[in-house]
Amino acid sequence: MTRHPPTIDDESLIAALRLTAGHDPVPAHVSAAARAVFGLRLPGAATARPVPTPAPLGVRSADEARLLRFTAAELTVDLEVTAMDGLVDLAGQVSPCPEAGTRVEVRTLHLTESRELSPTGQFAVTGLPPGWFSVVCHRPEHSPVATSWTRIRP
Amino acid sequence: MSDQHAIDAALAGDQAAWDALVNRFSGPLWSVVRAYDLSAADAADAVQGAWLRLVESLHTIRDPDRIGPWLFTTAKREAALLSRRNRGERLIADPADAEHARADPALAEHLHPDPAVAVLTADEGRRLWRAVEEMHEPCRSLFRLMATSPEAGVHQLAGRLGMPRGSYGPTRGRCLNRLRTMLTAQEATP
Repeated sequence: MTRHPPTIDDESLIAALRLTAGHDPVPAHVSAAARAVFGLRLPGAATARPVPTPAPLGVRSADEARLLRFTAAELTVDLEVTAMDGLVDLAGQVSPCPEAGTRVEVRTLHLTESRELSPTGQFAVTGLPPGWFSVVCHRPEHSPVATSWTRIRP
Repeated sequence: MSDQHAIDAALAGDQAAWDALVNRFSGPLWSVVRAYDLSAADAADAVQGAWLRLVESLHTIRDPDRIGPWLFTTAKREAALLSRRNRGERLIADPADAEHARADPALAEHLHPDPAVAVLTADEGRRLWRAVEEMHEPCRSLFRLMATSPEAGVHQLAGRLGMPRGSYGPTRGRCLNRLRTMLTAQEATP
């Protein structure tokens, strides 16, 4: 590996100075969280990646709600995200509408909420802590599909 | 443990192998996100984002040597997004950014080749500080203060250096440029 490449940017240089000065140690909770992330892996799951969302129809909640769309090969997960009192509400739609028995899990670093999908493929979870989350769709006889980890801050 | 072994073991479900990766890269990742002048909470979010993307993409990694640079680049991207959005943030979901979707280790070759902090050794750290010690004021004091007072804001740093607040950013930029030039010149010398 080479030494500092000539292209080293300001942030990397500052980081190197701070790292070697040793005055900004990693807080214990940050390392603990990084170790805990390993428990969130989903072997065999497909990752649904974010794609641009269509413009929202009408003006409902246009100021506060955020629409997100994730797609894997054959599945789309649409999410409407709203913040209320420092917590986050998610209303979701899985399409095409999966078969009966499909379950979604909304995962954060701290808790997981499980929901049965409605017959029309909808689900909702309220009062999530702000921060990182992912929605996992478990269908009978299919590998799980998980939305790429997404950060929400009210 | 080599990166290849760590990845193989982690793929097989070995928490200890993952912990070894965390121990190795936590310090550099923390330092680099803090360099974006993020609060401790935002910096923690940015670091977590990098680890989450790694766990999401672990099975796609073909070249384990790229893990350090990849984590580093991913954390920087998260930090840059947070830093930008702290100015006028309301309800924000980060991954709507198309660039975000492409943080895949399989594509790491196309990322900015910037592994400087991820592979920083003690020797290089000493070299870096020797260069700082050779610098004139205010650069030398500025770097010492900046590195040893990570919680201090621009206002406080400018005050302790005896310069107007508006001068701090431009001065820091000039000092960084000078340091970069010194390091590059050293490299050119066999």
